[in-house]
Amino acid sequence: MRSERWKYILSLTVSIALGLLIGALIMAATGHDPLDGYSALLRGAFGSKRSWGNTLYKTFQLCITGLATAVASIAGIFNVGGEGQMYLGAIASSYLGARLAGLSPWIALPVCFLAAILSGALYAWIPAVLKVKLKINEVITTILMNSIAIYLCSYLANGPLKTTERGINSGTDAIGKALRFNRLIPGSNLSETVFYIAAISLLVWYLMSRTTTGYRMRLTGQNERFSRFIGLRADLLGIGGMLISGAMCGALGMFECFALQSRFKTDFSSEFYFDGMLVAMIMRYKPLGIILMSFFFGALKMGATTMQSSTKISSELILIIQSVIIFLMAAEEGFLRRVQEHRVRRQTVQKEG
Amino acid sequence: MDLSSIFNVGTLLNTFNTATIVILAGLGCLMSEQAGMMCIGIDGMMTAGAFAAAVGSWYSGSWLVGVLCAVLVGLLFGCFYGVMVVRYHSDEFIIGVAFNIFAVALTTFILRTVFLQSGSFHPATGEIKTLPYLSLGALGGTNINISLMVPVSWVLIALLQIFLYRTPYGIWLHASGEHPDSLRSVGRSPEKMKYLGSVLCGLFCGLSGAYLSLGYLSTFTENMSAERGYVAVACVIFGRSNPVLVFLAALLFGFIDAAGMRMQGLVDPTLTAAFPYVGTILMMVFLALRNQRKLKAKAGHS
Amino acid sequence: MPEPIVRFFHTSMQFPGVLANDDVSLDIYPGEVFALVGENGAGKSTLMNILYGLNKPTGGTVTVKGQPIRSFSPSEAIRRGIGMVHQHFMLVPSFTVAQNIVLGDEPRRGIFYDKARANQIVEELVAEFGLKVNAHDRVQDISVGLQQRVEILKTLRRGADILILDEPTAVLTPQETDELFEVIRRIVSEKSMTVIIITHKLYEVMAISDRVGVMRQGKLVGVCNTKDVNERILSSMMVGKDVLLDALERIDDHDSTIAIQVEDLHVSDNRGLPAVRGISLQVERGEVLGIAGIEGNGQSELIEAITGLRRRDSGRVLIQGTDTAGMNPGQIRALGLAHVPEDRLSTGVSAQADITDNLVVGKESRKPFSSLGLHLHKKAMKAYAREVFERYDIRAAGIDTAVGSLSGGNMQKVVVAREFSFDTPVLIISQPTRGVDIGAMDFIHQQIMAKRNASCAILLVSADLDELYRLSDRLVTIYEGRLTGEFRPDKIGKQEISHYMTGGGREEERHAQ
Repeated sequence: MRSERWKYILSLTVSIALGLLIGALIMAATGHDPLDGYSALLRGAFGSKRSWGNTLYKTFQLCITGLATAVASIAGIFNVGGEGQMYLGAIASSYLGARLAGLSPWIALPVCFLAAILSGALYAWIPAVLKVKLKINEVITTILMNSIAIYLCSYLANGPLKTTERGINSGTDAIGKALRFNRLIPGSNLSETVFYIAAISLLVWYLMSRTTTGYRMRLTGQNERFSRFIGLRADLLGIGGMLISGAMCGALGMFECFALQSRFKTDFSSEFYFDGMLVAMIMRYKPLGIILMSFFFGALKMGATTMQSSTKISSELILIIQSVIIFLMAAEEGFLRRVQEHRVRRQTVQKEG
Repeated sequence: MDLSSIFNVGTLLNTFNTATIVILAGLGCLMSEQAGMMCIGIDGMMTAGAFAAAVGSWYSGSWLVGVLCAVLVGLLFGCFYGVMVVRYHSDEFIIGVAFNIFAVALTTFILRTVFLQSGSFHPATGEIKTLPYLSLGALGGTNINISLMVPVSWVLIALLQIFLYRTPYGIWLHASGEHPDSLRSVGRSPEKMKYLGSVLCGLFCGLSGAYLSLGYLSTFTENMSAERGYVAVACVIFGRSNPVLVFLAALLFGFIDAAGMRMQGLVDPTLTAAFPYVGTILMMVFLALRNQRKLKAKAGHS
Repeated sequence: MPEPIVRFFHTSMQFPGVLANDDVSLDIYPGEVFALVGENGAGKSTLMNILYGLNKPTGGTVTVKGQPIRSFSPSEAIRRGIGMVHQHFMLVPSFTVAQNIVLGDEPRRGIFYDKARANQIVEELVAEFGLKVNAHDRVQDISVGLQQRVEILKTLRRGADILILDEPTAVLTPQETDELFEVIRRIVSEKSMTVIIITHKLYEVMAISDRVGVMRQGKLVGVCNTKDVNERILSSMMVGKDVLLDALERIDDHDSTIAIQVEDLHVSDNRGLPAVRGISLQVERGEVLGIAGIEGNGQSELIEAITGLRRRDSGRVLIQGTDTAGMNPGQIRALGLAHVPEDRLSTGVSAQADITDNLVVGKESRKPFSSLGLHLHKKAMKAYAREVFERYDIRAAGIDTAVGSLSGGNMQKVVVAREFSFDTPVLIISQPTRGVDIGAMDFIHQQIMAKRNASCAILLVSADLDELYRLSDRLVTIYEGRLTGEFRPDKIGKQEISHYMTGGGREEERHAQ
């Protein structure tokens, strides 16, 4: 097991290196100097206090979305629908955040938070039940439900829940000032929410790695039949994983709106969930690995934004690099097996000869 | 607002126009599904195909070259998918989802970095030649023009129906999915058939992409497949892998989409846009419930 | 001696980590029936897979009809007249019999598959070899015996004159076995074919073969004329020592409390068809009730229904006197039941998880493994796993080895160790030693007997009659979802009981009525 872990770390390192190399080749192929590109990226990630703040903000965001993917996957359901769950959490909490503006934050904030996690969890519950009870593929349902949620929220934010404030053509009423989270570094996106995200992440890590519930979820995700056989409620554990996952996404939706936007806006997220999902896939849903590698990918992601503005290289490059890393990691096991078989064959042939 | 404004010739035309995207992608998905692989990545193949078609058509000034580019890119993606899944035994769903993100990122990246445009492809010089339209006269006061790809997709359904059930290759393709070892034991390689399945999958998804950017719309826009690839997968599941049933499921999707557009006076357009997705999920729930009930009825009967 | 038709010359097959064939040299002559025997994992199937081109040997050569094989592939083997009927049939279930027989070399009209010609080919084959099948039936709807015929016809159609049969009788009823042997004799005498039969049933070797080769741990340890040997000699060659297992010690003080009671149980299989049709039985504490039957006669569904893994259509199951209607597997286990499932890899373990996790699961909310039923104590789990690992003599690198990488015997020990250490009064055990080497088998048998002597009620399902005879206090036979007889193992012979396993008993009852 220990040597397995080292082998995994080695192939991860090689895959990341190859991914960055391919990124460099793409830059060169599109007429840009890769060194310029990557140095702009580094500057963008760590060049100033502000960029440090943004990198950390992205780190925590990847952390919570990555763990959200991981929790559901560990329990056996591939949640591709975090984006939709996040939208519902965002709009529900923002709506309440505006309505409850007059109340004390000590009451209003927990209510908003509860609304966020409940609506996220509820929206994750639907595909989870369809998967567990009717065996309907969750990848298809969750991705379609993303579109549904985004259309629904944009309808609400432009229709029934649209603010009456002047000069705002889309979005809900403003969230009460006292309820908003403060920024920690002026000009950057880093806000007080990181403490909450850190707490949630630690809690989830503890749940998945150190409790009987996490242990049961893991065994259920590995072999659902075995889980039922041994007397566990495989159906409830699978749904439970999705509920936690959806709740985390809902919470992030609230954090984004309450810290960075003054209201729910339909464009508050640029597919944030998928960024974290990619990290989780690269780290093969290992909670600790996700927490640790979020920083690396957070830096890549934030650096890329600066790279885009200073070198005209589109930040989508990072998504390309990440998906290449996933391809390499996914092929790794099969590739190594082939190499090993080949080696065995050659050795015996040499022995004979 | 009366029913005739929803159910009219225009709706019918829109139904066919929208369904064609899903039909072509569904046929691609069907090919990989027959070979025992559930290709979630068709959404990405469509996006890549759409981009290649738009660029190819603009660069050469010929829609045919555009379509060929889309097919070529589709084939490349299909090969890549085949290598990952057949040769390296990667998880189909992980590869599929990563594939879709990859394709959207790659096309957006090229659009922004090479063509220095964002949102959609609108070249300053030259134009994107779209697929020819067939004029079928007028019916009920509406001129009927359909893109060439619409009848082509129907012909393809018939051809694939024959291919799957009437030719040895179709039989082998199915065998490679249902029981690969049986094919291996008679000296045919199930791996080759699986490659064939994934390459054909790429080909049809490329065509679907070409129709997206050269027929359904007349340019490429970022993330233009809009999850219709997933709808196609749902149609294949719903159509139980029979080309004709997949066709019908795709028509149903097209109709919901078209009817939704017609209802825009009645319901907010952002809401009607969600209808096809809701419909697709309901379709899958309906199928699953029916299967479950069938099994129970059988068990209760004995 | 004529020229050998097949010649293995210093053939070796090295898989990563396993030497499956170790320097095997063997000649097979035209027109003979050659039996290849050995324990599970002795390398018989690997050797034949090489001949059929499914494995490429890592050393040595294989010569067929005087020509050495250079490229190993099934198509090359088929070209040289080799046909193989695998243990797990190579048939596409949703295809018709005709489609399966012509698969890979379909008759064509233009580019199309010629269905009429295919049916005609099947009819010609049926007429020529006298193996009756219906060309239009779907393979998934016909019996296992018929499926085997389809397999044989498939090889004959490709013009095979060397036929390899891998464990052909494992799934057949005695009558079907007799029919198969009849077919083998006929094709050998009339069509002058060569037949190689892989088996581990020694009485079949004696009944059908001309010569026999014995394999052990990848090596060919001997080749004899069948008429010069007997079963006893062969079995000691197979394991390298005298194999007669010692009788197990029985302590009889059972308190005759009924612990398992099944009343008129009806259960359906996955396709919704009736699999268990009105079974009633009871097991007392301190006894082993064995269920004997050919696989697929409702045993799996019966066990799954008793343990709550499968929905019951009607009937009652009482465990320790409590009706289990509407209970899930966990609730039924809580009544004092543990279960060793028939398919350990897909049901009995989590292959990705390590030995520790697989041993502890089910007990994780107890002390000392967790406090408050929530916080896990990994150290306690490991200490426990280490202790069980030693006690059950599980052979692996350590307790953090993934269970999926263990051999069949060791994986089964993990399952048995976990289930037996629940210390429940009721044990449901299915196929406890399938694919397990003889040492592990004896160990597991002793564990089962110890549980019986500690007055557990044990329901045992096995496809292995020897195992049932060794362990059971009572035996019942099952056929097509119904019990066809109840016996004391010391009162009935194996030949006679297999008669009841194939429905024979019931017909006689009917006649008697």
